[in-house]
Amino acid sequence: MRAGELKSAVFRLQHRYAPYVFVAPFVLVFFIFMLYPLVNSLILAFYVTSGPKSQVFVGFANFVFLLQDPDFHTAIHNTVIYASCSVFLQLPLSLGLAMLLNQARLRGRNFFRLGFFSPNLVGQVFVAVLFSVIFIPKFGLLNRVLHALFEIPIDTKWLGSPELVMPALVLTSLWMYVGFNMIYFLAALQTIDVQLYEAADVDGASPWQKFLHVTVPGIRPVAVFVIVLSTIGSFQLFELPYVMLESTAGPDNAGLTIVMYLYQNGWILGDLGFASAIGWMLTLGVFVISLVQMGLTGSWKTDA
Amino acid sequence: MNRSLSEYLPFGKAPTVILITTLLATVYLVVNPVATPDSTLRLWTFARNHYLAYVEGTPAFEAAHPGTRLEIQLVHGDAVSRRLRAAFWADLDVPDLVEVGIDRAASFFRGPVDDVGFIDLTPYLESSGFGERIVETRLAPYRNRGRIFGIPHDVHPVMLAYRRDIFEAEGIDPTQLQTWDDFIEVGRRLTVPGQRYMIELNDAKADEFNVFLYQRGGGLFDADGNLTMDSDIALETLVWFTPLAAGPTRIGASLGSTKILTQAIETGYFVTLLCPDWRTKLLEIDVPRMEGRMALMPLPAFEPGGRRTSVRGGTMLGITKATADKDLAWAVAEHMYLDSEELAARFRETNILPPLRDAWLLPAFLEPRPYWSNQPLGKLYADVADDTPPWYTSPFVEKAVEKMGQVVAACGAYYRENGDAGLRDFARTRLGAAADEVRRHVERNPF
Repeated sequence: MRAGELKSAVFRLQHRYAPYVFVAPFVLVFFIFMLYPLVNSLILAFYVTSGPKSQVFVGFANFVFLLQDPDFHTAIHNTVIYASCSVFLQLPLSLGLAMLLNQARLRGRNFFRLGFFSPNLVGQVFVAVLFSVIFIPKFGLLNRVLHALFEIPIDTKWLGSPELVMPALVLTSLWMYVGFNMIYFLAALQTIDVQLYEAADVDGASPWQKFLHVTVPGIRPVAVFVIVLSTIGSFQLFELPYVMLESTAGPDNAGLTIVMYLYQNGWILGDLGFASAIGWMLTLGVFVISLVQMGLTGSWKTDA
Repeated sequence: MNRSLSEYLPFGKAPTVILITTLLATVYLVVNPVATPDSTLRLWTFARNHYLAYVEGTPAFEAAHPGTRLEIQLVHGDAVSRRLRAAFWADLDVPDLVEVGIDRAASFFRGPVDDVGFIDLTPYLESSGFGERIVETRLAPYRNRGRIFGIPHDVHPVMLAYRRDIFEAEGIDPTQLQTWDDFIEVGRRLTVPGQRYMIELNDAKADEFNVFLYQRGGGLFDADGNLTMDSDIALETLVWFTPLAAGPTRIGASLGSTKILTQAIETGYFVTLLCPDWRTKLLEIDVPRMEGRMALMPLPAFEPGGRRTSVRGGTMLGITKATADKDLAWAVAEHMYLDSEELAARFRETNILPPLRDAWLLPAFLEPRPYWSNQPLGKLYADVADDTPPWYTSPFVEKAVEKMGQVVAACGAYYRENGDAGLRDFARTRLGAAADEVRRHVERNPF
């Protein structure tokens, strides 16, 4: 075989198989660590288990029990409240901050951007530990400040009173995620053509009209992305309450989330079958909510 | 011939370098698997003071068993049961011996009895005679369907730790606090809301509530594993406990966290604490400046002449089926748990009263302790140990503990809102609902 033919054959061979070789590691990892567990968990959801050796087929009994379990209702209730706060409190705050920090005349913008984003550099567990100390009755920073300013009882138990646990979790997540989502909005705001605002000024539009008719359409794709991502993230809430409430669901289950409920049943009661059923219900719920959100925000509409 | 390398690499150099690096890394990992431990036996413990004591006791064991290498591993409390469960399920990295907390142990006994990951220790306990020397009630939590899967590490009677200097300054004689009524009366005088509380009590969890429940003779389960968390005793205790821990006239408070207990005790925020033996060592370590200012007394009784102690916590040592040499693993258990010299040394390290009655007479248990105002700590706990109530359990104990915590928290919230009015009915309803939920979980267990 001549050298030219050899070169050509090697080249053709590489061209044909190289993509498969490059994709192979991902495909292997995906099949072993994603697809197989996923399918297996769907099968497990129809069993009551005590480890892999002891399994009893129960059909849809896990799902029936789940839907009737008051703890599951509590978990949904808590998770929905948290998710609502994420969408209706956290995201407007993020957008507001982004608009503020997008002002060219604001001095030290980069400093503030870094400052607001920095809570994300340390991770949820760190933030949870930090805030669990801040919330301590009597000696915690928050109680001391509130007591000094508003004479709120200094031994208020933020993480020990059922009615205060969720506000404490929301407050913590605001501190952590407002800056994070702000970055998305900031990036989106910077893509809006300044001439659109100038044209609106010429037309005599008020600041609110400019926001509604220029800013909102301009950031819509990013906003939808952030809303869906925040909702999914909220439904997966686990680390914050787990650490802040010291591995429990908090007083009277006030900090019980769906994922924590899953964890408790899988790893405390040891029933992976039931935990799988919870996982699939969660997946279904998040899928439906995401579809609804995308429908409401007009993501399905194609531009004419 | 002048051919460049790139002619043979249609996707460029970078992807090729990535591919080669990946292949090399894979080959490296295959030929260099994770090193397997060179120890003969491995023991997991979740308590740091146990770990330190076992490490100290290891050379003596290894000397008595030449060629054996015992490795003690400290695994975090929450992680030990999760990792153990995963290890059992995957049949991977299962230790030979493992210590499990009393509130988690029974969850490992769920499922067919032959599938339990621990070996039955009954033959070892019978042949060694230790079964008769151990406080019988402490074996109960580790007994399941006629088998004993663990030996108890402790008795964990509860006493009351108090700030002796504050008691003296206030003219309080602890020997006069015979009943909880006496205690509450003094507590009303000493408590200053927001500044000082007579006792550490948590109205958001069942930790302290359960101490009172057991002292009264109640419990979450009976000896047969039946749920009893909604018994009359539980209701009476709940109605008694709630106003003490919640509401404007409470004499107890909680920081909801152990993170700043040091500050709370040093500043006199808590005057007394429910104190099982294991907690005395934690206080010595965490609040060292209180040396000589702390003292212990038996719990006040619920009625004159009644029980003066309760129980809180516990640990079992189990031998897993994964161990290659069960007899050698039992020898470790004997050495660490049942050898008198080791127990004496361990007591000095941990302040934990072992379940072997004959050990309580050893000198180590009679020594005065400067931290505790020179009281003989071991003797104080040993004096009440025989009265320690039994702690019966079930594979669903964690669920029951969690549910009881919710009831306590709900009653606290109710009391803060409504005071005494309707508290008993509310507590009865919540107890019943919580018990029903646990029973539903029990009933769906097909094993």
